[in-house]
Order: sequence, then C-alpha cells, then structure tokens
Amino acid sequence: MNGIEFPYLGAKWTIGAFGLLHTSVASLAIGVAFVVTVAQIIAYRSRIHRYDQFAKRCQFFHVCIYNVGVVLAIGLIFSLSGLYPQFWSQLFTHFFWPFIVEEFLFFLLATTLTFHYFFWDRMWGHKKLHITLGALLTPMFLLQFYIINGIGSFMLTPGFGESEASLFRGILGWDARAFYNPSFLMLTFHRALANVSYAGFFLAGWCGVQLYLTNDRARKEHYEDCGRLCFYIGFTAFLSLPVIGYFYAHVLMKHASEAFWNLMLGQGDIMVGGVDTWWLKQLLVALMLGSSLGYFRYTLRDPAPFTLPGIMVVSVAVFYLMFYVAMGMVMTWRFFWWMLAAVAGGAALSWHMLSYGRGTARAVYLFLGLLAFMTVVLGGYAREASRPRFVQRFSHYDSVYKPTERQPVLMLPITPEELETVLAPPPPMGPAALIQSECARCHTLDRVRHYPKQDWERVVAQMIVYGARLTTEQAQSVTAHLSAGEPY
Amino acid sequence: MEEITYSHIPIATLITAFLLLAPIFEWVGYRKGDLRYDRLAKSMVFFVMILYAPGAALGTGIPMFIMGLYPEFWSRFANLFFWPLIAQFVFFLLDLIFLFFLYYLTWERMMSRKPLHIFFGCMTALFGLLIHAVWDGLGSYMMTPGRDLPMVNEAVGWSAAALFNPTYPFLFLHRFFGNISYSMLLTGGVLALKYLRCKDPEEKEYFGFATDLTFAIGFVTFFAMPFIGWGYAAAIQSNAPVVFHAIMGGHVSPHFTIKMILIGIFLVLGGTYLFVRHPRKVLPLALSAGILSLYLVLHWHPPLDWLGGDPMVWRITYTLLLVGFLIFLWMMRNRRKLTTQAPWPWTLFVAGLAAFFAFALGGFVRSRGRSPYSVYKQIEKPEVTAREADRFLLYDKCLICHLQGPNVFSRYETRDWERRVDRERERPGADISDEEAARIVRILQELYP
Repeated sequence: MNGIEFPYLGAKWTIGAFGLLHTSVASLAIGVAFVVTVAQIIAYRSRIHRYDQFAKRCQFFHVCIYNVGVVLAIGLIFSLSGLYPQFWSQLFTHFFWPFIVEEFLFFLLATTLTFHYFFWDRMWGHKKLHITLGALLTPMFLLQFYIINGIGSFMLTPGFGESEASLFRGILGWDARAFYNPSFLMLTFHRALANVSYAGFFLAGWCGVQLYLTNDRARKEHYEDCGRLCFYIGFTAFLSLPVIGYFYAHVLMKHASEAFWNLMLGQGDIMVGGVDTWWLKQLLVALMLGSSLGYFRYTLRDPAPFTLPGIMVVSVAVFYLMFYVAMGMVMTWRFFWWMLAAVAGGAALSWHMLSYGRGTARAVYLFLGLLAFMTVVLGGYAREASRPRFVQRFSHYDSVYKPTERQPVLMLPITPEELETVLAPPPPMGPAALIQSECARCHTLDRVRHYPKQDWERVVAQMIVYGARLTTEQAQSVTAHLSAGEPY
Repeated sequence: MEEITYSHIPIATLITAFLLLAPIFEWVGYRKGDLRYDRLAKSMVFFVMILYAPGAALGTGIPMFIMGLYPEFWSRFANLFFWPLIAQFVFFLLDLIFLFFLYYLTWERMMSRKPLHIFFGCMTALFGLLIHAVWDGLGSYMMTPGRDLPMVNEAVGWSAAALFNPTYPFLFLHRFFGNISYSMLLTGGVLALKYLRCKDPEEKEYFGFATDLTFAIGFVTFFAMPFIGWGYAAAIQSNAPVVFHAIMGGHVSPHFTIKMILIGIFLVLGGTYLFVRHPRKVLPLALSAGILSLYLVLHWHPPLDWLGGDPMVWRITYTLLLVGFLIFLWMMRNRRKLTTQAPWPWTLFVAGLAAFFAFALGGFVRSRGRSPYSVYKQIEKPEVTAREADRFLLYDKCLICHLQGPNVFSRYETRDWERRVDRERERPGADISDEEAARIVRILQELYP
C-alpha cells in the first residue's frame, strides 16, 4: 500500500526529526522550570537580587522554548497522522484518556507559566506566592511527561502480549497494563533526572555565551555565579544516571531483547552513516563526565573529602566507573577502555580551557552545554531507533490503515475470532535462534565466537550452571550446532 | 467535534486580529509622531504574548480530541490535507519566531529603527494570516467539500479543489473582517471600563483615545459583513443546500436568530455611542452609508418568513426599523456630554460582549448546520442519531423543490404524511427509495404531528 511520502527526508526521518526537535526542546523546558525555582529560592533566602534577575531571564527563555515546543508538537502530530495513520489512530484510541489528561496539563502549564513570567514584577510584594507558583510548574511538567513516558515506553516494551490482547478485545481509552509496562518506571526516572541535568548544563552553557559577550566586570561575576549554580544542578542530577541507565538496560534486555542488542551491538537503525549513535552518545557522556571532574579538580584545589561537593564528585566518578565496568563485562571491554579514554580526554580538555581562560569557566560551560544538547538528541534517537522495524505492530510506524470495513473504533485487520491464533505462543526455535536468544541474554555473541570448537560440550554445560535456560534436548542441539561451526 | 474548538477559536482569532492591527497602529504612530498609537500597539502585542501559549496549548488539544473521538475522520482528513497541515506548522513556527524574537523582544531596542521593526510586525501578521487562511480552507471544506474525502490507502496529500472549495473565499473574508470587528469592539468595551476606573488625567486621556479608536474600527469593519455574508449564504445555498435550510428556518435557525439579535444590540448601542461621540460628520455619514447598505442586503435577500404572513410584512418591518434607527441616530448627534457619564463605558462593554457572543454563535451555527456530517455528505459523525439522519434526509430530498425552507411543512393543513410523501415520490425527478420514504414519513410525523 502506498502512503504519503515526504520528499528527501522520507517518512521515518520526518517523524524522527520532529520527535527529536520536540524532545530536545520539551526536555529543556522541564529542567528549566526546576532551575528557575532553585534560583528564585536562593535569591529570596540570600537576598541576592541578581539570582532573581537570572531566574526571570531563564523564565523568559522558558516561555519562548515552551511555545517552540508546542509548535513542534503540533508538527509531530500532523506528520504522524498523515504519514502513519493506522499506527497513530490505534495509539490514540488505546490511550485516549492519558492524552486528554496530557492536554489538560498542557493548558494548565501554559497558563501558569505565562502568568508566572508576565506577572513577575507585579507580584513582587507576594514573593512567596510567586515562588510557589513557579515551583508548581515542575510537578506539573513531571506529571505531563509521566504520561508521555507511559505511551513512549509502551512502544518499546508493550509487555508480554497482554496489551495487544486488550487492544484486540476492545479496551479503549485507557489500558493500565499497557501504560505501566515493564520499562515505564525506568524511563520515567531516567528522563526526570536527565532533563534536570540537561537543563542545568544547557543554562550553564548559556551563561558561558554571556561571559563571552560581556566585558563588564560585574556582569562577568554575575554570569560566573549563575553558571556555577546551573553547573552544580546539572552535575547533581548527573549523579544517578548511570545507576538508572544500568537498570533500564536490564529491563530492555529482558523485555525487548532485540532492541537491547540493537543498542549494544550497533545493529539496524542505530548505525547512521557508519556511526554507532549509542556509542557516540556514551562517548559524549564520558566527555561530559571528564570535563566536569576536571572542572572540580581545577576549581576545588584542596577539596575536603567529606564536604558535599567532594562526596558528590567521588560518587559520580564511582558510579560511572561501575557502569563502564558492568557494560564491559556484559558487552565488550573495548567499551570500557573507550569510555575511560573519553573521560581522561574530557578532564584534560576542561583543565586546559580553564587554564587558558585564567580561571573563567566560560569555555567549559559552553562545551558542557553543547555536549548535553547532543547527548539528549542522540539518546532519544538511539532509543527510538533501537525498536526493530517491521516486527511488531506497536514497535514501528510502518502500518497504514485500511479502512475497508470502516471499523468504528479500532480499525485493526483482525477479528476477535482470530485472537487465539494471533496470540498463540511462537513455534519452537532452532539451535541458531536458541543461541541468539539464550547466550545473548548475558553476553555478546562475539564472546561465543571466541570459544574453541572442541570445548562446546563443556562450555554449554557450564552455561547451564550459570543460568542458561536450556532443556537437555536443546543443549544437545546447540552443542551440535556450535561444534559443527554452523552460522548463528 | 466542533464544540471542542470553541475554547481555542476566540483566543486564536483575537491573536490574529491584534497581530494584524498592531503594526498598523505602530506605523500610524510613527508617521504622526503620536506615542499613544505605539503604546496601544505594544499593549496589544503584550496581550498576545500572554495569550499565545494557552492558545497554542488549546490548539494542540483540538486534533488530539478529534483523533481519539473520530479516528477515521481525522485519518482521512489528514491524508487529504497533509501538505496544508505541514504548511500550517511552518507558518506557525515562523509566526512564533517573528513575534517572540523579532517583534516583541526588540520593541525598545529598535525604537530608532522603527520601519524595520514595523516590517517584523507585518511579517508576524502575514504568517498569522496564512495560518488563518489554511484553517479556513480546511474548515470550509467540511461544509462544501470540493472533492470526495479519500480513503487512507489512496494517498493524496493535498488537493486544490478541496482546499479552494466553493465557500473558501467567503469564509476567509467573513472571518477576516469578523475577527477585526469583534476583537476591536470587545477591546473598545474593555478599554472603556479602564477609562472609567482610571483617576490619573493623562492615563484617562489615553484610555479615552484608545476606546474611541478601537471601537470605531470594530464598528466600521462590521459593515463589510452583510455583503460577505450575503455571498457566503448564496455559496452555501448552491453547494450545501441542506446547511442553508438548516440555518434559514431549520433546526439551527433559533441560534441564528439569537446571533442576529446580538448583532442588533451592538449596532444600536455602538451606533448611538459613535454618533453622540463624534462631532465631525465623516463618521456619522459613513455609518449611515453602512446602515443603508445593510438595508440593501436585506432587500436583495429572499424574504425571511419569521414574522409570518405576506413577505411584505417582513420588508415593511425592517424598513421601518432601519429608517427609525437612522432618524434616532441623527437626533442624538452632538449630545457629547452624555458620553462622559458613567453608564457609557458599561454600554460599550455590553456592545463588545454582544459582538463576541455573536461571533462565537456564528461558528456554532455554521458547524451545527452540517450535522450529522463531519464533512458534508462524506462522512457521518459516529454518534449520529436516527432522528438527525432522517432530518437531513428530509431537507435533502424535499427542500430541492420546496425552496421556502423547512417551515413549509408546518403550513400543510392535512398531516397525512404517508399519503403526501407517496404522492410527492411520483413527481418527475423525485429520487426517493422506499426506505427513504419511510424515514421521511417518520421524521415528518415526529416534527409536524
């Protein structure tokens, strides 16, 4: 069936472009709301007016990007409904009520944000009320993206088939099992902290730009201060990302193994122009980590070990080190060494930038802001691109609606009578498929290829002891397949 | 479905009208060296900035609601209008960039480069107008589809016949002038209240000036509406006759009558104010010409039989009303001190509100007229009742010949509808099946027992 095609970009990349642009702007908006509240509270408590001025400027920036985000969301909705009508109609029918709550929050947020910024000076005599109003934006944003995460994570891990079943049976408007799917929680945690981190680093980058543009001494001091504040916020949120990322990856390995291995091995759409986007993202994160550590080392020449910044820096370093070791064990040690090199490179670079700038951190802030932006874009792309295409109804965009029967609601090319057949368990797998699914559950297939052929009986028995779920017949067929050197 | 849009449309139309007028006011202020125009333009843009995000958020809600409640309609609609929707997105983005970053943010900084700043304002207005133009194409298609609504497996993307359908130019002009008229009348009403509450003489002078200017613009602009409306009605009559009959005497006519009463209210209140307020003859003469043109439109229009009896009753009534109104207005001239008294600002506010509700009701009347169809004779709403479908059938099949409108049915003395319909079916050209005849009889028995 022919659908509408988008010239040059193609349908898939059009959605990708709209989605990534929207996500990078919307994520920033969520984080900026938090930074504004922190800056306002600091200004109120310390009576330092310049933090309030900074918060106001950030909030204006927020109003602008919020509107840009809304317009991009409209573009995304239009292009999805024109290019992938079946997918989009189904998703909307399934999650109608979450979408409507989302819309309600959208309006509430727009009104609150507008009021908060445009009445900043008029509410000067009611500062506590004004700060509270601004602080409300963060939970509202979190609630809003909580909903989007439910729908987004459903597309990656629709569960064990119950969601599809409920859709076929005609559950409309809201489906708790589909919404609270396996990766929902991890995606929510990951995004919540990543957004704050992204906004913190981005605003620090903006302060870096201002530092380049001004020659006024007082303004320079002001932006150094504000940049530091934003950097600290970004770095604090950075702390737990590897831990959440690890568990997120674990969930994907279990519930969307193909997507997981696409990410880990750089398969399918993860590769763009010969570049592995997930690896690139990790390299950028490592560079950010190195730059941040370099920054701390330079600015806190004699850090006391048990101060808050000291503990934070050490914790982040340890968490990331653990993450890299774990990924090295699961995937390949090349990953570990590459990341370590990127961390060292980032640290050296930030040290050099600080020395060259005679203590001003403007270059480091700008560098981190850019890296944060690129990381968010690449991370979002990698997650979306990891879904295997043409495999599952919900995991790709390529279905086109056939309205021959004019089914009033679902428009699915399946009748309830066919349900049992569709949901029947898959046929038993051959040895090659078993190797792919069972061995790759814990390590890469590269590792399988490293074993000498004569050892297979011993190795397979050992793996069963480690936890490979193979029956005796399956183990025999796998051993025979591997010993014969057959492809897998 | 249309009801969902009512939250968004007043905000969006107000924004469009303000963005159109702001650069004009700014330009007039620049040419005259009168800072009051600049202040007025800036406050309008500031107001737009406040409304923009909530309006955009509500605008996003419209397709979201429609996609969930009417998935088939939206899928097919988005297939037909994919490229206009994408163009809409581009216009929206450009509008936003010009408004936020080049027009609003640079107002103070570009005081010495006013022409360039006004140019940015014009670009903002242009993109706002383009958004409006695209939506009018889509909205007018739903009433007078220029081509069939395609299935989704028939990729279309865009169709000139669909976008530039028969009522498109009329809807565009109707909304263009309607937006300016209602938004300026409402603004004038609100500014009049500010004038009333203001104590500072300088501020009072400004609000008095702004009230007069905006209210007069709104009122004068209104007189384009009867002409456009007349052409619009003619286009509807020939391309969507059922909608025409639904509005003119059919199930939507009570709403249409209320709309006309609201228009009458702001015409009387606003006209009186402007006659009393303006000592020079130019404006009263222009308004008199407007009222005469209204008379001509009513004269050309087929007689409306709301009053019953001979068509002459209708003609004599509106002639007496309009002539009486004109005489009253000219008698009220030069009583200027009346306008400084407290009730006047409230009167203007009421006139502004009447204009706003007349405008809102106009949209409602238009969209309810095509019920039970989302797109006229193309796709029905899923919630359609048998009664609605039968009523549409009755209008569609019977009013082709009975051009006087639905009231013709109430005039029959004998109500043996079965026999009557059977007899009508035998007339040449009457294409009514047995099943349709049964449905027509059923609805006639229900509506005209």
